[in-house]
Amino acid sequence: MATVINEAEHIEVEAELGNRWLMQPEAFTALTGWTLKPEGLCRDELCAPIYHPEKVLSYGLIDLQEAAPIIGLCAVTDPERGVAALTVSAPERAQQMVSLRAPDFTLQNLSGKPVSLHDFNRRKVLLLAWSSW
Amino acid sequence: MWQQLQEELGPHGLSIIAVAIDSDVDAVREWAAHSPELNVLIDRDYIVAERYGIVNVPATVWIDEDGHIVRPADTAMGDDRFRAFAHIDSSVHHDLLRAWVLRNERDLSDREVATNMERPTRELQLARLHRRVAVLLHDRGDAFGASAHLSAAEALAPYDWVIRRGSMPMHDVDPFGTEFFSFVEEWQSAGSPGYRLRTGRED
Repeated sequence: MATVINEAEHIEVEAELGNRWLMQPEAFTALTGWTLKPEGLCRDELCAPIYHPEKVLSYGLIDLQEAAPIIGLCAVTDPERGVAALTVSAPERAQQMVSLRAPDFTLQNLSGKPVSLHDFNRRKVLLLAWSSW
Repeated sequence: MWQQLQEELGPHGLSIIAVAIDSDVDAVREWAAHSPELNVLIDRDYIVAERYGIVNVPATVWIDEDGHIVRPADTAMGDDRFRAFAHIDSSVHHDLLRAWVLRNERDLSDREVATNMERPTRELQLARLHRRVAVLLHDRGDAFGASAHLSAAEALAPYDWVIRRGSMPMHDVDPFGTEFFSFVEEWQSAGSPGYRLRTGRED
């Protein structure tokens, strides 16, 4: 088993780890919501073509690092240590930012209770980022 | 001061969410003890930093009642403790905040808000992911692996304070020591990148 950090969530996944982080198509779909089809990687009606199958696919397995940008994600994989991380790609994030919609988030407070931005619905919010360092 | 602003403006509809971009929960607890009015949350994985384009602390983002960002990440100080260093008069931001909360006055148009958003590069996104991997490896006791990913993050985002300075405690480096000051020099000679908005700037 290997661990994928998907935003704040830690997900245990099946992966074939060598020099690359390779996943069975079913495991890739369970992780990302995108399915490998002859047209490319698909979700609902949308299919993103795979322009370099020699990089993305290997004997029926999907390379997570190479496949990520095709579906608007950015990935870091460390097959040696069995840890990978996923977030939205830079262009996706930039597009989301200029829409000026405040992305929701859920973080724990000091008592370990999850608190989300949407809990402050109908109030003005000042998000203050700070640190002890 | 944030604590006072919460007391003053809370009854008029403001909530301050203090997100600690920090992996040291004990240090956060100590700070939070002085500010019982604030909603203190812990962001070890830099989730908010990534979603809101925060490249240094302290920074503020204003969000209105409809979930609309009306002020992007801005260098805002709680008080003037760092004024000689940061050259920012903290009261300017606080007065703008009062005008917004009490009278719905905004000094930035939507267009200015969008222009001043710190949009990420591919390198910055990768750096943030390396940092998340580093935190997990650190928690698992793999100091060597954590250090390898922190170094990768720093090489990808050399001028991002949250990445560079925020990683110092995990490297056992003093974030107020000589390495910090050499980072500041490096950052200044690169033209102080990543500071779009500095309300109350004096220089």
